[in-house]
Amino acid sequence: MRKLLLLLFMASPFMVSAQGFQVNLAGQKQIGMGHTGTGLVQDGAAVFFNPGAVAMLPQNYVQAGTSPLLFKSVFNGTGTTNEYRTANKIATPFEGYAVYGPKSAPWKVGLGVYTPFGGLTDWGSNWQGKYVLESLNLKSIYFQPTLSYKITNYLSIGAGFVYDRGIVDLKRAIPLADANGQDGQAKLSGSGHGYGWNAGIFLKPLEKLSIGVSYRSKVTTTISKGDAIFTIPSSLQAMFPQPNTFYASIPLPATTSVGLGYYPNKQWTIAADASFVNWSVYKSLDFDYANNTSVLADTHSPRDYKNAVSLRGGAEYKGINNLSKWAIRAGGGYTSAAAQAGYVTPEVPDAKRYYLTAGLGYKAASHLDIDFSFEYEHLFSRTQTNMESNLSGTFKSNVYIPGISLAYHW
Amino acid sequence: MNKLKHILILTAGIAGLAACKPEIKTPAVSRGSADFTRYIAVGNSLTSGYADGGLYLEGQLNSFPSIIAQQMQQVGGGAFVQPLFTEGQSNGSGYLKLTGFNSSGLPILDTVKDKLAIRGIVSVPTNATTAIKVTTYTKYTGDINNYGVPGIKLTTAFLAGYGNLNGYYERMLPGEAPSASNSTAYIDFVTAKPFTFFSNFLGNNDALSYATNGGVGDVLTDKNTFATLYNQAIAKLTATGAKGVVATIPDVTAIPYFNAVTPAALLAGVQKSAPTVTSLFVNAKSSADATSTTYAVRELTNSDYMVLTFPTAKLGTLVSTPYGNLPYGLTKYTPIDNQYVLDQNEVAMTQDYVNAYNTTIKTVAASKSLAVCDIYSFFNSIKKNGLTEDGIFLNAGYITGGLFSLDGVHLTPRGYAVVANEFIKAINTQYGSTIPKVSVSQYRAVKFP
Repeated sequence: MRKLLLLLFMASPFMVSAQGFQVNLAGQKQIGMGHTGTGLVQDGAAVFFNPGAVAMLPQNYVQAGTSPLLFKSVFNGTGTTNEYRTANKIATPFEGYAVYGPKSAPWKVGLGVYTPFGGLTDWGSNWQGKYVLESLNLKSIYFQPTLSYKITNYLSIGAGFVYDRGIVDLKRAIPLADANGQDGQAKLSGSGHGYGWNAGIFLKPLEKLSIGVSYRSKVTTTISKGDAIFTIPSSLQAMFPQPNTFYASIPLPATTSVGLGYYPNKQWTIAADASFVNWSVYKSLDFDYANNTSVLADTHSPRDYKNAVSLRGGAEYKGINNLSKWAIRAGGGYTSAAAQAGYVTPEVPDAKRYYLTAGLGYKAASHLDIDFSFEYEHLFSRTQTNMESNLSGTFKSNVYIPGISLAYHW
Repeated sequence: MNKLKHILILTAGIAGLAACKPEIKTPAVSRGSADFTRYIAVGNSLTSGYADGGLYLEGQLNSFPSIIAQQMQQVGGGAFVQPLFTEGQSNGSGYLKLTGFNSSGLPILDTVKDKLAIRGIVSVPTNATTAIKVTTYTKYTGDINNYGVPGIKLTTAFLAGYGNLNGYYERMLPGEAPSASNSTAYIDFVTAKPFTFFSNFLGNNDALSYATNGGVGDVLTDKNTFATLYNQAIAKLTATGAKGVVATIPDVTAIPYFNAVTPAALLAGVQKSAPTVTSLFVNAKSSADATSTTYAVRELTNSDYMVLTFPTAKLGTLVSTPYGNLPYGLTKYTPIDNQYVLDQNEVAMTQDYVNAYNTTIKTVAASKSLAVCDIYSFFNSIKKNGLTEDGIFLNAGYITGGLFSLDGVHLTPRGYAVVANEFIKAINTQYGSTIPKVSVSQYRAVKFP
């Protein structure tokens, strides 16, 4: 019990991370430890956390996991007593990794499939900000083939190529009522792709210390022919030509991370990560329609995100009651907000946030690990008037993320 | 067993966290120094919820006093009863409905004729030789908080027997017009029962009725008469210590009724078939002096305001004159009738009167420490800059603007919600109350087929 308290105590000064629509859920062991992993060699998730560390893995890995995510947000319009809440919808970020290399070889190849950006927000069609947003379902799935090479026993490097599949589904009400007083609606949905790369260096200068640096590049995801479907009163149909398509391009920002691992003894792993996310690339959200009319113009919504940082820490303890099949983990972190004052939108009611995580690892068989994680993320309440929509009010959000993964290693 | 215990603890922790949702502390609300126990709304069509050229149930339900009263209920306000039409007669007086657009993109309007609450049309003598036709409506009996009467002026609010001249007022009274029992002046009728708070939006029609008829058929209420009666009205409303809010009168040129049809657009329309035409003609007032009655034919300019109801098809149709058959509006012998144009001098005159009325309203309100909702400034600002709320851009445009209904004068439910928020703001400022606003996006604008 004393050790457990110690663990929680140690985790608290570090604080954490995910901002904007970045989703830091790439490995269950790592989530348990507060999303640390850049400076560690835990499992196949190193493909994401630090391609440079992959060659240091003592085994080959095939693993997959998911972190069903419940984003709960509430909005109170300025000067009103109305409260609107997002629907209970569960987003499903997932991760899958395969790492292979002959035991004797200094190299390993890997493949990662994971979801580093996304969002699932559903405010419904009757809330105050319906003309700004009804719902957004944004997913990006990265496919990352990776090559890692161990130069010496204390230094390895690696790099990967990233192909991103982006999927967006956005709905908003249009203030044109039909004969029954029902709003019109715009539904924009489509998919596209983008390219990028990852690279990392892993260093183990001392028996008790490891250091990692990784870089994940910007990936501009372009949807060139999304479907733009407008439901509007029939007398105005000509103003909203159907069928219609849209072009949109969303830059998913580069992330630079530095991580440390410290191993005071065989039971403990203590880790810390710091990330810098180059959110300033997200200047605006634009939709360019193939068919414009006097009423249907292309849209340009400024976002002007600013760069953000996140600081995270966590620890793992193996061997409770001498049952070495178990590992317990805890961590937490703090992240600055990417959306600046005046630019907060209901798609991403972004705010400074902290998070706390816990994890449990179980060695089900000599080659099989089952890992559980749980994360609670609290976004600080933010009272804002959006400069574009004049939607004014206070957003407050909590995020709950349980997770599970299976890892087979040999 | 220990394993199990750890799993259970973890599971319980997870379940506990997931159950909690983010909570927001909405600001505490208070009535401040005002008492909203019985709020009454005094005024004309805008107060009654009139829209789309008629008074009907949906409009009544979305009247700005009704919206304000609902919000007042959150700070201790009492019940607010309106003289609603029944479901079976929900279309009330009938109203305009948009049925589509013609090939030039102009709106096609139709009048709703079913489910009306019209009782009949009676002839009411105004003196020994003349009489007017008054449409009467199904009587309303019961409590009233919203006393809005379409068409009423500040002057007629003091007129004994006005109940025989206005069907909307008549329906609130016990007797059938024409009848001596309908002699109660409006101002006495509304103040008969005790009340703690009032809104007063009388005065619009003292200028508007003159303007909407292009300066024909009605006159602007004399400035001094307006001041005297406004003082009397407020004295009466505050006599028992009630607090209240008064509204200023909008500039007539801030409403789509005078901006939807422009002289330039008319000329351009004529030139499509008759390219040689360079001017339209109007029979216009010769000076901005209210006492002058001289009218003369001149060219129509962009400083003249066409009324929304101008029948554009009439332009160019042949009119018989001493000089032969000539096209209507296109020659100085066949000018556009005065009733269709609020000409430059009439505009200047109306604006001068409205300014004087508003000075009176603000002065009287200040002397009684009443809240002032400055609709005049608010509408002028919307005309100039528009207004963005909850992601909707609203402006003074006809049909497209979102605020004004199909008659170009009265508001849509969304427009009334915007106005209700302005009233709430004024009340909160004056009385230190925190009546919550409404979300404008929860109210509809013009309905399209």
